[in-house]
Amino acid sequence: MARLIRTEKEVEGRYEDVWLVVEEDALEQWPAGPGEIVGRPAQRVTGPLRARGEARYTADIRLPGMLQAAVLRSPHAYARVKKISLEPALAAPGVRAAIGPGEVEVLTDEPGFQGQAVAAVAADTYWQARAALELVEVDWGVREPLLDPDEAVRRGQLVGGPSRYERGDVDRALAEADVVVEAEYRTQTVLHNSMETHQSICEWQGDRLDVYISTQSIWGVRDEIAAALGLAPDKVRVVCEFMGGGFGSKNGANDHTFVAAELAKRTGRPVRCALTRREENLASGNRNATIQRLTAAAKSDGTLVALAGEFVNATGWSGWASSTDGPMQMLYDCENVRTTLYPAKINTPPMKAFRAPGFVEGTFGLECILDELAAKLELDPLEIRRLNYASSAADRPLSSKNLMECYRRAEPHWQRRDEVRARSEGPWQRGVGLASQVWYGGGGPPSYAWVRLGSDGHATVITALQDIGTGTATAMAQVAAEELSLPIDRVDVVLGDSARGPYAVTSAGSSTVPSMGPAVRSAAAEAARQVIEIAAQRYEQEERVLSLSDGQVVSSDGGSWPIEDVVGLLEDAQILGKGARGPNPAGMQVLTFGVQVAEVAVDVETGEIRVERVVAIHDVGRVINPLGASSQVEGGIIQGIGHTLSEDRLIDPQTGITLNQTLDAYKLPTIADVPEIVTELLDIPDEHLTNLGSKGLGEPPIVPTAAAIANAIRDATGADVRSLPISREEMLRALAEAREKEKREAPATV
Amino acid sequence: MKLLQPSSLDEPIPSNTVLLSGGTEVVPLIRDGLLEAETLVDVRGIVPRGIDGTRIGAGTTLGELEVDPDIPEALREACRLAASPQLRNMGSVGGNLLQATRCWYWRLKFPCRLHGGDVCHARRGEHREHAIFGNDFCASAHPSDVAAALIALRATMQTNRRELPVEELYRMPSEDDRDVTTLEPGELILELDVPRPEASTYLKAMDRQRWSFPLVGVAAARSGDERRLVLAGVAPIPWVLDSPDDLESATPLPGTAYKVEIARALVRRALEAVA
Repeated sequence: MARLIRTEKEVEGRYEDVWLVVEEDALEQWPAGPGEIVGRPAQRVTGPLRARGEARYTADIRLPGMLQAAVLRSPHAYARVKKISLEPALAAPGVRAAIGPGEVEVLTDEPGFQGQAVAAVAADTYWQARAALELVEVDWGVREPLLDPDEAVRRGQLVGGPSRYERGDVDRALAEADVVVEAEYRTQTVLHNSMETHQSICEWQGDRLDVYISTQSIWGVRDEIAAALGLAPDKVRVVCEFMGGGFGSKNGANDHTFVAAELAKRTGRPVRCALTRREENLASGNRNATIQRLTAAAKSDGTLVALAGEFVNATGWSGWASSTDGPMQMLYDCENVRTTLYPAKINTPPMKAFRAPGFVEGTFGLECILDELAAKLELDPLEIRRLNYASSAADRPLSSKNLMECYRRAEPHWQRRDEVRARSEGPWQRGVGLASQVWYGGGGPPSYAWVRLGSDGHATVITALQDIGTGTATAMAQVAAEELSLPIDRVDVVLGDSARGPYAVTSAGSSTVPSMGPAVRSAAAEAARQVIEIAAQRYEQEERVLSLSDGQVVSSDGGSWPIEDVVGLLEDAQILGKGARGPNPAGMQVLTFGVQVAEVAVDVETGEIRVERVVAIHDVGRVINPLGASSQVEGGIIQGIGHTLSEDRLIDPQTGITLNQTLDAYKLPTIADVPEIVTELLDIPDEHLTNLGSKGLGEPPIVPTAAAIANAIRDATGADVRSLPISREEMLRALAEAREKEKREAPATV
Repeated sequence: MKLLQPSSLDEPIPSNTVLLSGGTEVVPLIRDGLLEAETLVDVRGIVPRGIDGTRIGAGTTLGELEVDPDIPEALREACRLAASPQLRNMGSVGGNLLQATRCWYWRLKFPCRLHGGDVCHARRGEHREHAIFGNDFCASAHPSDVAAALIALRATMQTNRRELPVEELYRMPSEDDRDVTTLEPGELILELDVPRPEASTYLKAMDRQRWSFPLVGVAAARSGDERRLVLAGVAPIPWVLDSPDDLESATPLPGTAYKVEIARALVRRALEAVA
């Protein structure tokens, strides 16, 4: 029965109160451990299509008569368009339409960051559109940009109010503590750099709009466009069959989609608007830089008594306050915690969600200061984490938490410390560090799926979900195959089209599998139930003696009938099972946990850092596809290594111009930078969470990587690295500081 | 835009043309509006390619040089550590010597001194990748690993007009002439002659393990008692050190002081390697 509830919904650490219609989740969880298909490694069902180049990404779509759009973006970080003339562009060869500030809401005459959209043209070819942009005449009034986030905070220039959190009495706890550590940590701005840049093709069919878009949220895009254009939501159809990465940057329609929709309307032709790599790195979002002024205090036995932090997010010209303060509030059992978070509004490109937004940054600060505290207390870093283990969230019970088991599994890797250090030679110093992870990832309702079982005994999972490259389609096929006891090659998955399937969740906040998996299972179970009902009538059996096994309907008396024979009775008709995601456990918080252990080598003369090994142990409930899961972990760690060591979006301090917009200058890790990665997932179903007990895994693996590496560097060299990226410059600075400190603290010799 | 593909050096090369070999540098520069030309001349039909003893055709790719065991270590290593396999399979050694700086201000067309302006934006702005020597007028860093190696090896080059040491291909930009090479319009590098040293090496510090221009590159070569040290990524042109002590006279900017420290370590190691 459908039930209407008022509930808190969490996406990427942000909560909102929503009305939800949920359906009861009547299925018992499968027993823990691998089933026939679920819990066993499955190759991507879309692998051959991708390998053969047959997978159709948004970037591959060319509609008949399609025009190409190009966007004029502000060359200034802060400016006013005093005058603009589109006429010369309109007269250029091939140009079919041009729009300027105000003609679509996303085009502004008061840009607040370099790259903000100001005007756009559509032409027969992309290069004609680009050439026409050069002809647009703009009289700019250039303004002085504000680029310093601390200064923005001083001026009260924020994108939202500061958020304050306090439990206990931090000041008193600090006064009574035996050891107090204070330090300032900084994280840099990094760019998503999805392989497929942001892009859309818009085509009007009368008063209906078709949008082909590289997106993590086909329903979110549908609603956003419908609202902005004043259309009924179902007049907008959103399609995304294959996607080349999003990492949080593709949750919305973005300027390019509205530009394409307007130009398509004016020209009566389909219009494609695709960002170049440079536009991608200016105008499609980023993980904002942060400044974290932290205090940690403990008793001499290692009990944490106070944690405090002032966090400044360099949010950019717009955006929201990602939860840099979250880990400090959630990771440890500490009675006295105080955080203040300021989202600074400055003239830099706006942030967007980026794989565990806020938590990646906040975990770096928290997990590093905890190691600095442990060093002062002469405590083992793993031990201090166990000592201050939080068995419940501050305000409510957890649906499950097995972080202690992660720590236990980390021990053999942690114990390699002496052996790793002993391998130091010459300028190469080696060490081991670890860091813990907390993040959301429980997903939630609503999410729906249909399972169609045809007379050939093949099943099709249908849901208007997007697979953003994480292997969602494979995981859904596994869940349906398990429930129907069909081999996985008899299950197809149809997704990626808002007009061809029921509502499905946004692929953000590590929520796809935990939201969709239970709905798919539920739909498959309903289809299975119908197969059994039909078989019972056809073969004159009692339903209770029948079950599905290995592609057959089997009876406890030994009879068996292939599923295709049973469904074949229907000829062209089919069985349709419908499934819905049930509610999350009432009153509980659902979180994911983990720990990573990093081994590094540092050349103390040149500042070169090599990450040699990372062990990732995460607790994300039941694992559907261990193969897909390990590739998520590897991807997260590699992205984390880029964040830790080499990636750094640079801004000219005078003009606010982004200096490294291209991939030669903005340094993502290459395959040569990838260490040995060991993935261990606990695979313990969360008994309170849905009919699967699965949580999400997209984000957890990137959360602790930077802190684990920084702590390993401290272990190897004694240097406190507190600023990301740990470039050669930062590494050599920290080493020099450590030498100075040692000199100061060395006992005077007479 | 026109493309000429001459097959003989006797064919006249019109003025206002841009010469193109592998295209890994020229094509992006044209696309970014940093080079303008109505006519491109593909020189692959007229510039020799291949290795013959100590002589190397200027059209030889970095990919070909890095795998030839007869090429001195410093040059092979400089090729191997440059760019990516895709780029090394296209880029020619002659073209590599003529690369423009990676200075982001220059690449983004800030009106800097190399562009004829009167200010070096890097000196007052973001300059972590910039110069520690000869950086008073312009703080750009020369990106070529290969040039440093060739100069350390005392290579010479033959153009269609003259023969000169590779070292003399470069000049410091100045108020009167912002160019960093001595190449005349229409002058074309044809061939290199690379003497065999007794020992040589190239060491390179990068922001990541591969596909990165040098923060500091150190080429060292020794023949008998004579040692030669040349640095990449530290000055507007490849920088010859008369002795390791020259590092103490570096003039780093606030954001490039770390490069001096790296150079000290790499110079010491390079000298040990060729000892």
